[in-house]
Parts: sequence; C-alpha cells; structure tokens
Amino acid sequence: MNMAALLRGLRAGRALRGLAGVVAAPAATKPQCSSLSRGFHRATLRLQDDSKSDKPPSSSSTTYHEHYQAHSAEQDTAAAHEDSTSDPAADQASRPNTSYQDQGGEQGEEYETEEQLQARILTAALEFVPQHGWSMEAIAIGAETLGLSSASTGMFYNGAGDLVLHFLAQCNSQLTDILAEQHNQVQLGQAERKKTADFLRDAVETRLRMLIPYIESWPQAMSILLLPHNIPDSLKHLSTLVDDIWYYAGDRSTDMNWYTKRAALTGIYNTTELVMLQDSSPDFRDTWNFLDNRIQDVVQMATTAKQMQSTGETVVQGFMGAAITLKNLTGLNQRR
Amino acid sequence: MHRAAHTALYDWSNILGPAMIRQCLKCRVPPQLSSRAYSVVPTPCDSEEKEMLDRMLRVDHAGEYGANRIYAGQMAVLGRTSTGPLIQEMWDQEKHHLSKFNEILAENRVRPTALLPLWNIAGFLLGASSALLGKEGAMACTVAVEESISEHYNSQIRALMERDPERYTELLQVIKEFRDDELEHHDTGLEHDAEKIPGYWLIKNAIQLGCKAAIYVSQRV
Repeated sequence: MNMAALLRGLRAGRALRGLAGVVAAPAATKPQCSSLSRGFHRATLRLQDDSKSDKPPSSSSTTYHEHYQAHSAEQDTAAAHEDSTSDPAADQASRPNTSYQDQGGEQGEEYETEEQLQARILTAALEFVPQHGWSMEAIAIGAETLGLSSASTGMFYNGAGDLVLHFLAQCNSQLTDILAEQHNQVQLGQAERKKTADFLRDAVETRLRMLIPYIESWPQAMSILLLPHNIPDSLKHLSTLVDDIWYYAGDRSTDMNWYTKRAALTGIYNTTELVMLQDSSPDFRDTWNFLDNRIQDVVQMATTAKQMQSTGETVVQGFMGAAITLKNLTGLNQRR
Repeated sequence: MHRAAHTALYDWSNILGPAMIRQCLKCRVPPQLSSRAYSVVPTPCDSEEKEMLDRMLRVDHAGEYGANRIYAGQMAVLGRTSTGPLIQEMWDQEKHHLSKFNEILAENRVRPTALLPLWNIAGFLLGASSALLGKEGAMACTVAVEESISEHYNSQIRALMERDPERYTELLQVIKEFRDDELEHHDTGLEHDAEKIPGYWLIKNAIQLGCKAAIYVSQRV
C-alpha cells in the first residue's frame, strides 16, 4: 500500500512539473486553487494510458470554453477542493479507485463537472465524425480514445444532437475569440477598423470555414438540428452567433434596427451555409462570391431605405408648405 | 481583493444561505462582454442574473421610450399654449432618461423590446388624446403615467436591494434618481389641476391599467 502510494506520488510529481508551462499562462488570471485543480485535471490526463494525443492542445477555444464553464462551476467547489489538494496522487482517472474516492461528494475529484466530462468526450468524438458521421458511434469511439468505456455514451440523452450542438457551441466561441482579438487589435491601434460590410463578410466566412473539415457530413448535422427537440437550442446558438457578430461589427442600436440587422444577417448566414453545401468550386470560391453579393444586397437595401425616408420627409415638408400657402391665400390663417 | 471578498462571503454562507453567495462567487465572465472598466450595471455572474437584469433594463427602456412619446403627443396638441413650456421641460428630462438607458442597453448587450413601434404609436396617441381633453387632461395623464412608473421603479429597487444592495449600487443610484424625477413630474401634474378634470378617477385608473399591461408585456417580448 505504501509503495503504491509512493509510486503514484512520484508519477504525479513528474507530471506536475511538466505542467508548469502548460498551466502557467491561463493560471495567471485565476485564483490559485482553481489553477491547482485544473493542474490536477491535466495530471489525471497524463496519468492515463496512451491517449494523450486525443486532447487537441491547439483548440484554444475548447479550453477557453471549458475554462469558462469550469471557472463558473469551480468556484463552487473551490472550497471543497482546497481540502483535497493535499492528496493529488489519489486522483486517478475514471478507473474506479475506491480507496480514495470521496464517497460523500457527488463529483469525482478528477473531473470538475459532468458537463466538462461531456465536453471532453464530444470534442474527442469530433475527430471521428468524418468517418462515422454525426452519431453515437463517433461519440463512443471518442470516449474510448479518452480511456473511458463506450458505455459512457449513455450520458448523452440527445445522442447525435449533443454532438452537433457541442460542435456549434465550440465554433461560435472560437469565432467570438477571433472577433474579440481583432477588436483588441483595433483598440490598441495595431489594425484598421474594417467597414461594416467587410467585417460581416470576413466574420461569416471565418465561421463557415470552420465547417470545411466536416462539410461532407454537414447535411446530416443540419437535419439533426432540424429535429423538433433540437430546434430551440440550434436557434439559440444561431441567435448568439449573429448577435456576437453584430456587436463586434459595432452595432449599438436600441430600436427596431436591432431586429432588422440581426434578421438580415441570419438570412445571409443560413443561405450562404446552404450554398456552401452544394459548392464544388476550388476553396469554395462560389460560396464567398455568393456571400459578397448577399451582403451588398443588404447594404443596398439599407441605403435605399434611408434615401426613401429622407425623400418622404422632404415630400411631407413640401405638402405642409403647400397647405400653409393655400391657407394664407384663402385667408384662413388670419385671426379676426 | 476579490479573493478576500469571496472568502468572507463564503464564511457567511452558512448563516445567510447558499443563494446569495452563489450570486457572487462566480463573478468572472469573458471580458469582452463589457469593455468599460466602470459600468453602471455589474457584469452578471450567471445566466439567471443576466436574464433578470435584461428584463429590468428592457422594460425600463421601453417605459422611458413610451413616456417620451406621450410627452411628444401632448406637445403636438398643447405645444403652443401656455402649458407648452411646462410639458417641454418634463419632456426634456424624459429624453435624458431615455438616452441614459440607450447607453446602458448598448453597453450590456440587452435586447430592446420588439414592441417599440407599438409603444411609439400608442404613446403618441395617448399623449395627444389626453391633451385634446385640455390642460387638465394632459396633467391627469401625466399623473397616472408617472405614478405607474414610480411604482414600477420602486419595485425594481426593492428587488435589487433584496438581492444584493452593494453589488448593484450604481444601478440603484440611477434608478433612484429617475424615480425621483418621475415623482416630481407626478407632483407637478397634481399642482397643475390634474384632479379638476371630470372623470379623473376613471381616466387615471384606465391609463394605469394600460401601463401595467405594457410593463408586463415588455418584460417578456
């Protein structure tokens, strides 16, 4: 028993030292305990078998997303974790390690929440989507690459829908990161402010390009999203996407423009997505041309609407002038 | 400093219950949600709080917008009479309120109510038709509307105070200031013969009922 604990401690120690660089950057802005628990989180991954390659280190948005999720959940359990940080060696992965498992707590100490576990499985499953489609199979294989049994797919009540929605959320948060970064660049004066039409075009193009690796199976994903129980969630993702794009494009309207702008962008995005599915030109050139044209249409409509409004105002003024002239001529304006 | 506050709150949690603490312990959101260091509305901790704040700001914005339109309607009819300057003055204050809320909404990415065109027309019609009843009618309408709005602001202040007065200090300040302005308008209306109109009780209650319905709907749509 002592030897086993000692060995585990040594392994954990080695893993932790290796982690110093990995967690240093994000840890800078967080309280100490949550960075420690994230450290242990990663330690448990290292301690697992050979499945290190499955966690894509470059998907900064996933970690950001998880970090954001983790952070909100972690603060609750932060205090609880403070007690458990003294025993890192006990944190094995999913293998039922009954001797150190905290029987009282509903969460295992290696995973902060079930949501995070689900997110990790789904992210791993995305790799297998081109081959197996958006299905429970892909999720099962993804779970297996993380060292979990494929029966853990039982966690996903919505099945393939969960996978698609997770992908949507991931893409959207990636886009938000990119837009925020560009925004910062502009604030710092390192980049020029783009014109609205260009900004919209670039944002939609960036977002649609994230579909390219999955473009073959995307029709299947879209049909999954159209299932009645998935519609509210997919609409919510779409609306946050469009809202984010407009926010970073500089829209700060608080009247009906808020609605018309978002409706227009939703139309542009959806139609361009559909065109992309049918597009076979090199690097989807036709799709981007289509996108350009649609955005020009909207800009044109907005300009026309403004022109009509000012024309209307002028016409009304003309009428008022004519009416007053008539009243003067007929003497109705004089007071007796 | 954050951490000290968090641990202090956590110590009190055993006494005050988890709900209050839950609100403040997870206070970190992606910085891009609010780019200003100082903001009247605190960055929401979770989606529940965001929704609550959204509703409040949405209906406040709709209310000020409607009040603007009511005064515009009254001015359109009574603008050239002796009550004109008085109504203009109240209208200017409402314009100031509206611009403040526009600012807050834009900053916090709150969706404005979809019924704005409706409140546009309805407000103008209400103001114009009450002004057609004469100066007393306009004042009666002012009294009714301002009373509704003040009550509404008061209930919001109560709600915020119940949740966490310190967290919402600036927002409470803004709402209190606006509520005091509205009460002032209410008193001005009373001073200028609002009660002299025949059927005052009926008009007042009808308008207040309409206001309550408008507030209810604007919170949700």
